[in-house]
Amino acid sequence: MSKTVPPPCPEPATGPLYWRSLEHLAETPEFRAWAEREFPAGASELRDPHSRRDFMKLMSASFLLAGAGLTGCRRPVETIQPFAKQPEGYTHGLPQHYATAMPRRGGAVPLVVTTHEGRPIKIEGNAEHPLNAALARDPADRHGGTDLPAQASLLNLYDPDRARRYTFKGLNSTREQALDALAEAARKFADRQGKGLCFLLERSGSPSRARLQQLLTEKLPQARWFTYEPVDFDPPRRGASLAFGRAVRPLYHLERARRVLALDCDFLGVEEEAYRLIRGFARGRAPKTPGDELNRLYVAESLLTVTGSNADHRLRLAASQVFPLAAWLGAEVLEAGGAPAPGTPAAAAVAALREAASGLTPEVRRWGSVCAQDLWASRGQVAVLAGHRQPLAVHWLAQVLNFQLGRAGGAVGFIEASEPASGTMAALVQALHGSEVDTLVVLGGNPVYNAPADLEWAKAQRQATTIFRLGAYEDETAPHCDWHLPMAHYLESWGDARTADGSLVPVQPLIEPLFGGLTELEVLARVGGLEAVKPHDIVRGTFQGLAPEGVFEENWKKYLHAGYLPGSAAKAVEVELQWGTASQALAGMGAKPPPSATALEVVFAPDNRVDDGRYTNNGWLQELPDPITKIVWDNVVYLSEKTARELGVAVVDENRMNLRVPVVRLESAGRTIEGPAWIQPGLADYVVGVTLGYGRPAAAVGRVGGGTGYNAYPLRTTQALGFASGATLQLTGKRYPLSCTQNHWVMQGRPIVREANLETYRQNPQFAQAMNLPEPPYGLDEQHRPKPIYPNPLDQLKPDATHWWGMTVDLGACVGCSACVIACQSENNIPIVGKDQVRRNREMHWLRIDRYFAGPTADPQVVNQPVMCQHCEAAPCESVCPVNATVHDDEGLNLMAYNRCVGTRYCSNNCPFKVRRFNFFDYHRRPLDKLYQSPLTTFTDGEWEVKRWLKNRDRGSRPQEEWDLLRLAKNPQVTVRMRGVMEKCTFCLQRIEAAKIAQKIQAGASADVEVRDGAIQTACEQACPAEAIVFGNLKDPNSRVAKAARQDRGYSLLEFLAVKPRVTYLARVRNPNPAMPDYHQQPLTTAEYLEHGGTLIPHGTGAAPGAGSAATNGGH
Amino acid sequence: MAGAVPPGAEVRVIGPPQELERVPLVANQRSLAWVSDRVAGIVEGRAPLWWWVAFVPSVVALLLLGAMLVYQISTGVGVWGNNHPVMWGWDIINFVWWIGIGHAGTLISAILFLLRQRWRTAVNRAAEAMTIFAVMCAGIYPALHVGRIWFDWWLFPVHNSQSLWPQFRSPLMWDVFAVSTYFTVSVLFWYMGLIPDLAVFRDRAKTKLRKFFYGLFALGWTGSNRHWSNYEKAYLILAGLSTPLVLSVHSIVSLDFAVSQLPGWHTTIFPPYFVAGAIFSGFGMVLTLLIPLRKWCHLEDIITQRHIDVMCKVTLATGSIVGYAYGMEFFIAWYSGSPYERFAFINRAMGPYAWGYWTMIFCNVVAPQLFWSRRIRSNLLVVWILSIVVNVGMWFERFVIIVISLHRDFLAANWGHYLPTWVDVCTYLGTFGLFFTCFLLFMRFLPMIAIAEVKGVTPQADPHHPLGGAKSGGHPA
Repeated sequence: MSKTVPPPCPEPATGPLYWRSLEHLAETPEFRAWAEREFPAGASELRDPHSRRDFMKLMSASFLLAGAGLTGCRRPVETIQPFAKQPEGYTHGLPQHYATAMPRRGGAVPLVVTTHEGRPIKIEGNAEHPLNAALARDPADRHGGTDLPAQASLLNLYDPDRARRYTFKGLNSTREQALDALAEAARKFADRQGKGLCFLLERSGSPSRARLQQLLTEKLPQARWFTYEPVDFDPPRRGASLAFGRAVRPLYHLERARRVLALDCDFLGVEEEAYRLIRGFARGRAPKTPGDELNRLYVAESLLTVTGSNADHRLRLAASQVFPLAAWLGAEVLEAGGAPAPGTPAAAAVAALREAASGLTPEVRRWGSVCAQDLWASRGQVAVLAGHRQPLAVHWLAQVLNFQLGRAGGAVGFIEASEPASGTMAALVQALHGSEVDTLVVLGGNPVYNAPADLEWAKAQRQATTIFRLGAYEDETAPHCDWHLPMAHYLESWGDARTADGSLVPVQPLIEPLFGGLTELEVLARVGGLEAVKPHDIVRGTFQGLAPEGVFEENWKKYLHAGYLPGSAAKAVEVELQWGTASQALAGMGAKPPPSATALEVVFAPDNRVDDGRYTNNGWLQELPDPITKIVWDNVVYLSEKTARELGVAVVDENRMNLRVPVVRLESAGRTIEGPAWIQPGLADYVVGVTLGYGRPAAAVGRVGGGTGYNAYPLRTTQALGFASGATLQLTGKRYPLSCTQNHWVMQGRPIVREANLETYRQNPQFAQAMNLPEPPYGLDEQHRPKPIYPNPLDQLKPDATHWWGMTVDLGACVGCSACVIACQSENNIPIVGKDQVRRNREMHWLRIDRYFAGPTADPQVVNQPVMCQHCEAAPCESVCPVNATVHDDEGLNLMAYNRCVGTRYCSNNCPFKVRRFNFFDYHRRPLDKLYQSPLTTFTDGEWEVKRWLKNRDRGSRPQEEWDLLRLAKNPQVTVRMRGVMEKCTFCLQRIEAAKIAQKIQAGASADVEVRDGAIQTACEQACPAEAIVFGNLKDPNSRVAKAARQDRGYSLLEFLAVKPRVTYLARVRNPNPAMPDYHQQPLTTAEYLEHGGTLIPHGTGAAPGAGSAATNGGH
Repeated sequence: MAGAVPPGAEVRVIGPPQELERVPLVANQRSLAWVSDRVAGIVEGRAPLWWWVAFVPSVVALLLLGAMLVYQISTGVGVWGNNHPVMWGWDIINFVWWIGIGHAGTLISAILFLLRQRWRTAVNRAAEAMTIFAVMCAGIYPALHVGRIWFDWWLFPVHNSQSLWPQFRSPLMWDVFAVSTYFTVSVLFWYMGLIPDLAVFRDRAKTKLRKFFYGLFALGWTGSNRHWSNYEKAYLILAGLSTPLVLSVHSIVSLDFAVSQLPGWHTTIFPPYFVAGAIFSGFGMVLTLLIPLRKWCHLEDIITQRHIDVMCKVTLATGSIVGYAYGMEFFIAWYSGSPYERFAFINRAMGPYAWGYWTMIFCNVVAPQLFWSRRIRSNLLVVWILSIVVNVGMWFERFVIIVISLHRDFLAANWGHYLPTWVDVCTYLGTFGLFFTCFLLFMRFLPMIAIAEVKGVTPQADPHHPLGGAKSGGHPA
């Protein structure tokens, strides 16, 4: 059953603090069991013909008993219910799907996770969850989008740098000793009613944690609770609670909104719930016919965010000037419905708002006034969102506006939301300095790294006598704690959470803790000396209190099975504005001077990828091009072009392959940081954008994220968590290399991304096809595409094929969030290549998002375009491959036979879309810092690389412990490519085949082998929160993809090459307001195209109106 | 043929009038024996110092090539600068460059033979050797630039475990056949021509070893009329076979590009333009090699000023053809009406790699125009420098075609840059090591000049020439 491993070297329990080696790990029985198996759930057994049968017997038996026993297997012992597919039995080799949820600050993302032999390998959104199900267009529409962190969190599970050991004062300890210490603390504080016991928590929406907090407060009334989030998404709730005088928070239904105003709020990017806000927003951006209504997005922001890049009207504004603008807007809206009677609190508020807006320039006022008129005209269908970094007054105003503009009950609802009482970080520091803290329990978080700099947290924390810390990593905080306990990943934990609408969702473990970590619930229960300490029991206990009537066990199973508790959503409440709180909200919000070259404004933003630093060691996210800058592996100091010029910062933009940018020193209130400068189009002038989460030492964050970027936290103080004024910036004279995946930012007037304003679209629905190059005079083929001069019979549609696979990408819906890129990476085992390789343009993403700017650098328009293999019917890559490694199948897929590829790379040269990726090195097997070292001269784990290879050719050149973990994360249904072969998007061939096999089995003797529409979702389509990607069978004229491709917005990329792509892009439609000062008759990319001699007038030899341009009219 | 001349009698040569006299192909009225002695002397004497000075660095460079290839094969193609979108870089540039150089030899020996250009005899042997070694250098690149070198044999139509034939639609496939055929025929042709001269060496050999080996490869050549008759027929046949290959090999190399749809590659003008460019660079290389060699090996009487002059004219002609092709590419780009095509060419001349383009224009179009001047053509130092300029220019032509076209194509988001790495540079230097090692060994062990053929074009070999007829004399007074 198991391979022979030598007994681990005896190591004293409190050994020296070495690097976390295999020996350290081997102390835990869990790890020993795991290490004895190369593959936790059975791969080693499969090799052994004798044990294979035994294994199968055992597997089938154990799955009937669902985990009663099966020691050594990493399947959780507690019962978990498989989701939808195959819940009855278990077929070895077939994946299983479990519903769970990813807890976030205060919320959660409902998920379905795919596991193979007990290894979670892919994360997807839970389409059944009410939030998703409510948006389904028809019963067959099962879509559950996710976002970047959710997609990427899988890799964190297998991160070899996670906290893997229990330590006491930095020395190795054991789980038992740690639990004893917790029990000891519990006994001590039980006697003292919790006096001197403090908890520092992260925000959480877990009802179980709230219940435990309640239980502990009853038991230990003197224990004190504190919460800290470096990036806190709670302000909207606080603003709403203040405005309406009761504990409520807004619940946005952007799908119902006609007008959306974002006040420095990146709701399509880094804010909480982006996954569902994007979906709602995108609903209003993808017209099916010219008659459809479109929503309109107004954004006022300081940095250029994903949200700003999707705006119809975008106002660059320093973060400190957002409040005056909001005040102006607020006053305009409040007066639009008739000026409030003088003397009323409303009138006083309006006066105060006008006063606050007095410093605004006339242009900004005009922008605000026209915007306010437009919002007022659409009242009832308006959503106003304020960003987390803005002060409470802005949030209060946003909710006032939502109330005023939404009385008809439209796009914004309010639901009950209360937070358990807890103190702030500053209060905790005060308590620490007052020696009121005997024992501090830090659950999660990383305060030493990310607490406001003025609190000097590391020093303050040490005032406590004993510090327990539960942490996912041995990070910056770890050395400052007494007890450090490894935290289990959410895919290893039992828990629960509430999604945005308040629905209860379970957090189910899919694998036993790889490193024996604990959960927050267990630590809390143990410190409180509660009876039930197993998280499973705690969660069940909580559910008991919330479950509906009926048989408990049935409810529990259903709950786990479905991944949510039906009917548990928070109740919508009727609210009434409490004008009395206006003065409280507006207190101290006088007009602030705008920033200038000598008093810059520093704006702190969570990073698009690593958030506040919690994902710094995630290679997928590190290598994901930032949605705006396309920079990888680093964060930068953003400056507008004007600011940079005035400050003498020059970023040379030629030959970006060797991009080396100047390093600047930023000083604010006596604190300084240094980071690489980046001139960002669309940034507000005199604003310096810095993003959080980077600049961490490798010792604290791990091998992947160590040493990337710069740390912006030292500049952040309690008083200025969102933005700080009065900063100065100097050049340091140093330069810093950056890696950027997109060197060229403009489309050169080429009709690559095609867009039009709504009016143009209504007048000329075929505008996208009019942008085709004039067709050669050889007529059109049966699909209304230009005929090539020499038609090749091999390049035709195969009439006998059951399916013609195709895809549509709606550029109107796509917001550029990049979740699809990570989903693709996770599904298709795409390696990361490291900063240096990206500098050489060798990133491996099969799906990339091209981002173009158009118009002036100061106020550009932004377009995004996901580009994957276009699966051309007349694929230029295929005809040039000398070894038949890339070929076409009957159903229209351009296939890549990896083991036939010799790597001439001609296919990539001949691909007009450049979507093919070449394995220049063995990226999967070799450590990224040793790519350039020949195996002839390299040693791994003390053994000559070539010798290792001769012994076992399947072994990686990474250290064994890292290799074993990395292998667990791979999707077994997708080949892991070796060096020297080309690879590219396959339309998730493995998913297509699985669906075809399932359909064939179902069809039995009948010939009904056509896969049902919607049965296959490619990884990108599944993850896309905007529903921008649709995959399906073009042969079926009623399939979603065929309908979408037939839309008049459809066009093929580079149609004039007559390669006949199977991907159809749907042109983007903007909806600007003609009354706005920044209105453009044409989108700026279209204007650029027209300047280059393009035309919007249909032309050609017979492109009949109504004919789809691309692989569309299947079934004729 | 007049009567015998008594020994010791003075021979008076009455040539045609001075103004009608062609410059003889062998100067100074050298005798046939002198030709044999001079050419064999290069091989038979001690290696001169300059030979060692050239040979040692060449071998070092050859070892460097070996080291670079071992490194590249064991580590991955990534050690080169190739990237996305520039998937081909110095590997294919150098492949095409070396193949181009390998053009002159067979052109000189086959086409000029068929055209009865008798001056070819002085340079054809060395040029053919140069061809073979250049094709060897070229062959390294396509074979080793692939991702999985150990599967290179899949490019040949042999049965493999996947039961698949190669894809005959791919120009890379045609390349395999074109280059390997060209190499094979060139080697055969070269060896054929060597046989009479090897026999000379055999006959003059003073050591057993030399006698054995030269004898082995001379294939029992006795110089009988039957041998000569067969030899001439075979030579003619091989010349006929080689002639289309001269045109086909670079045409097919050009199809590697022309068959694709990349702006800057997708051009029907490529086959003739590549062939002209190849002849241009081939003659450039012949000049580069022979100008110093004729001096160091004291071959001025065999490779005369007239030979240099003719080769300069060929260079001038082909250089002008290439220049015309450059202009025509621009015209077609404009005339096509395709904005993508137009951009590709504007980008060549004005993009980030414009320096590469203008270097090419200067070296290939402007510099050879100096050859219009007889004074320039007769100044050997200037000719030699210009021949190197031509080689540099032709390298840049391939750089322009490959890198500049690839680095900016259709979708602006894909645009990238290309920088070679030290491994690229060292591999390229290494191929020079291979080339010069082979060439220096060739000149030390094989007749660098086609002795028999040169003798055939001396006045003495012409029965109608006053000097012709007998070894000892010519026409009587």
